[in-house]
Amino acid sequence: MQSDPAQGPPAHDIAMWGAPGSGKTTLLAALNIALMRRKDEWKIVGSDAASSDYLIERTNALSSGKIFPEASQSLEHYRWTLVGPAERQERRWLRKARPTPPLTIGISMVDAPGGLFSAGPLHTANGSGVADDLRRRLMDNLVKSRGLVFLFDPIREFELGDAFDHLHPPLTRLAEKMLEIGELRDGMLPHHVAVCITKFDDPRVLETAQKLHLLDSAPDDEYGFPRVTSEDARDLFRALCEVSASGNADMVVNALDQFFHRTRVEFFVTSSIGFYVRPHTKTFDWNDYQNLLPEAGKDLRIRGQVHPVNVVEPMLWLGRRLAAGGPR
Amino acid sequence: MSEPDKALLRKAVARAVAGLTATGRLTIVEVAADGMTVFRIHRDDNGRPRCHYWSSSWEDLTSEQGWGHESSRPAVLRAADPFSADEVVLVCSFPEGAEADRALAWLSEARPAAVLPSDGPVTAIVEDVLASDPLTRSYDLVVLRADHASGRLRLGSKQLFPIGALPGTRAEVAVRCEPGDAYGTAFAVVTWQGREPRLLSVHSARLAPGSYLLTAELVRPGKVRFGGVPELTRDPRGWDDLVAAAPAQLPPRAGPAHLICAVEVCGPDAKVEERLSRVRQMVSHLSAELADLLRVSLVTYGAHSYDDRSAGEHPVEVAAWQVTPERALAALEWLEERGAITEGYPYYPHAAQVEDMLDAVARRLSTAERVRTVLLTVGDRPPHPARTNRSLILPCPRRHDWRLLVGRVQGRPDTLLAAICDREDTSPHPVWRRLGADALAHLDALDIRGLAADLGLAAPAALPIPFPLLDETE
Ligand SMILES: Nc1nc2c(ncn2[C@@H]2O[C@H](COP(=O)(O)OP(=O)(O)OP(=O)(O)O)[C@@H](O)[C@H]2O)c(=O)[nH]1
Ligand SMILES: [Mg+2]
Repeated sequence: MQSDPAQGPPAHDIAMWGAPGSGKTTLLAALNIALMRRKDEWKIVGSDAASSDYLIERTNALSSGKIFPEASQSLEHYRWTLVGPAERQERRWLRKARPTPPLTIGISMVDAPGGLFSAGPLHTANGSGVADDLRRRLMDNLVKSRGLVFLFDPIREFELGDAFDHLHPPLTRLAEKMLEIGELRDGMLPHHVAVCITKFDDPRVLETAQKLHLLDSAPDDEYGFPRVTSEDARDLFRALCEVSASGNADMVVNALDQFFHRTRVEFFVTSSIGFYVRPHTKTFDWNDYQNLLPEAGKDLRIRGQVHPVNVVEPMLWLGRRLAAGGPR
Repeated sequence: MSEPDKALLRKAVARAVAGLTATGRLTIVEVAADGMTVFRIHRDDNGRPRCHYWSSSWEDLTSEQGWGHESSRPAVLRAADPFSADEVVLVCSFPEGAEADRALAWLSEARPAAVLPSDGPVTAIVEDVLASDPLTRSYDLVVLRADHASGRLRLGSKQLFPIGALPGTRAEVAVRCEPGDAYGTAFAVVTWQGREPRLLSVHSARLAPGSYLLTAELVRPGKVRFGGVPELTRDPRGWDDLVAAAPAQLPPRAGPAHLICAVEVCGPDAKVEERLSRVRQMVSHLSAELADLLRVSLVTYGAHSYDDRSAGEHPVEVAAWQVTPERALAALEWLEERGAITEGYPYYPHAAQVEDMLDAVARRLSTAERVRTVLLTVGDRPPHPARTNRSLILPCPRRHDWRLLVGRVQGRPDTLLAAICDREDTSPHPVWRRLGADALAHLDALDIRGLAADLGLAAPAALPIPFPLLDETE
């Protein structure tokens, strides 16, 4: 299922943004699984061979191998097309309704090592010269893109509290660059930002949402997973910021408000791996929903099936927003 | 002094000393060139020969009147006082002297006795005879005799040296020492006069409780040297003080008990081995204390496995339930041979089936039985929670709730919880404080005796036993 990029829809550049280990690469890896598990007809197709291979490989590693991606070392570009269901048009006058071609959203995704977003030295396998080059390329990509997926890892914020350190320095540099090329609108950046609170499956995150009465369940969800709607996601975000280890998380909210139009920012509460469901019950169980499995002396594994939560939604939201705005 | 004379004199003195009765008096008068020495020997309350002696010069005895004067005779007789003695031995070490001759004649006339020749001082001979005098009373060690059936203690004695024992004789007594009083344990030696013991000596020291093979050496009459125990010091107490210090009753003896040992058998081999060996120590110690009053159960538990690559986990295992210590030790040997469990790999690394173990124990414990029951858990991992929580430890597959189960075991009458936790970090999971509610020990610093006493499974060390104990069976 590979489409010719020349014939594909115009691609919108989207950049992943977030501290190291906030779950950027995993979120992308879960995207295909998320789409396959959806009952609607959205699907994802690679727009070039490398992007297709990546989709297949990551999908397998995550769902069959049950392993997480390794920490990213370089900038990766993926060109994908989200292909929606064929939309039926309203019956008009006496003419019969006829299907229009499906909605397609082209996205050009950049996934970078989270360390590139901080001002500090970068711990990659490569030297610091390489890091400077990567940083420059990342900044070019941010300038070029009109969509941002900003990942906020509440666990990391709770333990380290450095989300602000990975947001503010590149944000001011980005604003500087955009001002230079005359792309600031009303003193604001032109990007649409999908703020993704990751690792919703972690008991500490889910319990916080539960205590704040922000949990809701989608009636059509076959597993009965709890979820937080986008309207409530901002409240959860603020609550999670309050338990930040550094106490700087509230500045994350302020920085987002300062640089982006409120209407261009949407919050999503996501989990790439989702909650654990027992194979024979296939329903969410409050007593046993953790989907991470520690292994002696090794990294965490995924315990059961991967059931991504709210992973497609930010992409679709961005895609639709960008498509509505027309190609740049 | 010529050797035959010396031997003859020693023999005569020894015979005279040996013939001394409890109240008898022996006088030895040595008549020499410049005066005479009088030795008075009697036996003290312990039958030990005691000697006083004094010397008088001829000048003193004859005073101004001169040797020829009549008044010298009573002076000599007064000094020697041969009449008050039961036996008199006369020794002449200067036969040529006129004064000596005269004095000997007065003495023999007053109290006819053989005159033994001697050509040197008699003091050394008398001292030597007294130091090697055979015992005229037996020397006994003061002990407490314990009757384990009734718990009664009787102050008594155990013979160290019989009558006739000679210096250099050694004796051995196996005793048990319990923590003593301020003086520690007193090693008192008495002699018997009829029904009355006479205290000869008391030495004491604070000894580590345990069994000792006490050795006693008769150094000379009246002096016993002890070995086989740390150095003893002289104890100033008299007989009445000692009697007052002796308790009449053994500390209350532990009754029947059921010891349940739950051992974590996953993790490093060395740790599992160590845990099992501590259980072995505990069972051995208690079986010595309680003998056939002890019942032992052995339960092992490992780690859960949540990984679908694993062939299935190793469940909680009841290796023995309410068996004799011997059978429990045999079952333990089998567990020791098996070592750490590897079945179920890859298993969960951060917790163990503590909650399943509690469930297995709680199920088997009947509430009707009123026997002191101790659950001794040995391990270090936390349990799995009943449901997902912030600990991030995956919940127990069987949803067992360790809090409820600990409460159920603890709520049973006469049931105690003890734990030996080998966790390195300072604050173990709260479950270990619950599992060790009545006694919590660390694997490395384990006092099995203390732990057993804390659990009321052995005699508490609180009541001092200030004398060596002799078991009545011996
Ligand atoms: N509980 C939970 N943990 C997750 C999830 N996604 C990722 N993680 C954890 O976060 C770790 C890092 O995820 P990555 O996707 O590599 O994060 P990244 O942002 O790409 O990291 P860098 O490439 O180093 O910048 C993973 O190894 C997982 O342990 C999730 O949905 N739920
Ligand atoms: Mg990455």
